[in-house]
Amino acid sequence: MGKIWRYLRLIGVFAKYSLMSALEYRINFVAGVAVEMGWMVIKLLYVAIIYKAGTDIGILTPDHILLFVGIYMLLTGVYMLYFGNFCSLPGMIQQGELDLYLVKPVSLQFYVTLRRLDFSLLLPEMVAGTAMIVAGWKRAGLPVGLVPVGGFLFYLLCGCLLTYSLFLLPYLISFWTISLGGIADISNALWDFNNMPSLIYGKRLRDLGTYVLPVFVITNFPGLFLMGELSVGSCIWGVAAPVVFFVIARLLWKVSLGKYSSASS
Amino acid sequence: MNQNRCVFLMGVERAMEYRVSFFLSMLSAVFPIVIQITMWNYLYGHGDGAAVFGYEHEQILLYTLLAVIVSQLAGAGFEGEVNSDIKMGGLNKYLVRPVSYKWYQFFSFTGQKVPRFLVAAPVMTGILVVGAWQGLSLSAARILAFLGSLVLAVVLNFCIFYCIGLLGFWLTDVDKLFGTVSIVLTVASGGIFPMDIFGGWVEFVVNLLPFGYTTQFPVNVINGRFGWERICLGTGFQAGWILVFACLGEWMWRQGLKRYVGIGG
Repeated sequence: MGKIWRYLRLIGVFAKYSLMSALEYRINFVAGVAVEMGWMVIKLLYVAIIYKAGTDIGILTPDHILLFVGIYMLLTGVYMLYFGNFCSLPGMIQQGELDLYLVKPVSLQFYVTLRRLDFSLLLPEMVAGTAMIVAGWKRAGLPVGLVPVGGFLFYLLCGCLLTYSLFLLPYLISFWTISLGGIADISNALWDFNNMPSLIYGKRLRDLGTYVLPVFVITNFPGLFLMGELSVGSCIWGVAAPVVFFVIARLLWKVSLGKYSSASS
Repeated sequence: MNQNRCVFLMGVERAMEYRVSFFLSMLSAVFPIVIQITMWNYLYGHGDGAAVFGYEHEQILLYTLLAVIVSQLAGAGFEGEVNSDIKMGGLNKYLVRPVSYKWYQFFSFTGQKVPRFLVAAPVMTGILVVGAWQGLSLSAARILAFLGSLVLAVVLNFCIFYCIGLLGFWLTDVDKLFGTVSIVLTVASGGIFPMDIFGGWVEFVVNLLPFGYTTQFPVNVINGRFGWERICLGTGFQAGWILVFACLGEWMWRQGLKRYVGIGG
């Protein structure tokens, strides 16, 4: 328990220094917000098309879809908060920068993947995502109570952990290869499958995205739980998947680290 | 002439430097296609999409497939290099040699497009053959008009992004600005969805601005949405915008050089 508390305090310190750094370079911060707003426009286009068509997707009305895309936006913001650390991993491996961090009295994976937090990318997605969730929730007439809200927030947290674990995996390949551009493109494109609720896809793709590469678990399960449409099996998988993939990511990190050879110092 | 040929061939080599990464990048373009085609199939299968969006089902599918390919072919990406040359003094080596920086960038850019075109051409041919089999009206004149508009789209996109790169003469840190501009232009060019499905003033503005002529226009030439009158008018707009941005680029280059301080390089 003490260890968890220590790491939570460290995240607080990382957040504090990242925020101070962001406020020091204010134009860069504003530019970051602008970039993320550009990406947001693309997500909003999907919602605009659904509303224009006025078509339900299975049990989901356009208002439900607004809620689902809102969840996707919010979790995109959380992912973008530490995404820059994943992107800088290949460079750190090639230039031998990991040497410096290996000797620190803290988990290397924790330090390398969470040390810099980009609030400029979180801010617009969080504001717009939360607004869409609230609007979708209200318009769709979904229940408000301790169990629905608590369960919704719990599955949002599970989604955050699953995002971290699942999307760290492709970046671990950088311990073996030189250029990671294509793999990063593919993993980003995979994330974009959440632009639409999983119910729009065929059964095979849905199963693949739920049980093999569970990208749909991340943004669909909170909304489905809220609607009371999550079966008991799915409820369990929604909790198990983040744990399973976190363990896989942790093990693969350790294996990958074995391939690292110091390049400088 | 020989010098431009060498730069062009260097561009081809640069694009093929990391082959696996290159092909994975191309592959990542498949995912958004799957998402959008699934969405369009669903919306057209469960409502009168043609009446809502103004595109027939086949036209919108063809648009989705071809827009990704066209935006990959026309896409820039050299603006960061222009900015870096300005900031880091890399321009020096071009200024002291009998070589035009603009033409160097142009031939390097077009050279890097060759491998992409070699991959895209058979895919595009396959899509058009299937389209023709499904009833798409194709004629030699229309294919020629499409190829012509595609070439003009590549040149127009080069001119636009060359001007954006030259902003480095005036702005201190433009890296994130490039990201924002790139995303906004991808949306405005119709690279995600055809912007004219939103009708009204959106369609009017898109028709006036240059961006739609880099993706949306060439695709609508080949998918049969535009008649010959519209094709001629659009080609005129493409040529006009190329002239405007070429002149603007030339002016920015002259003005920028007056501010340029060649440190390093």
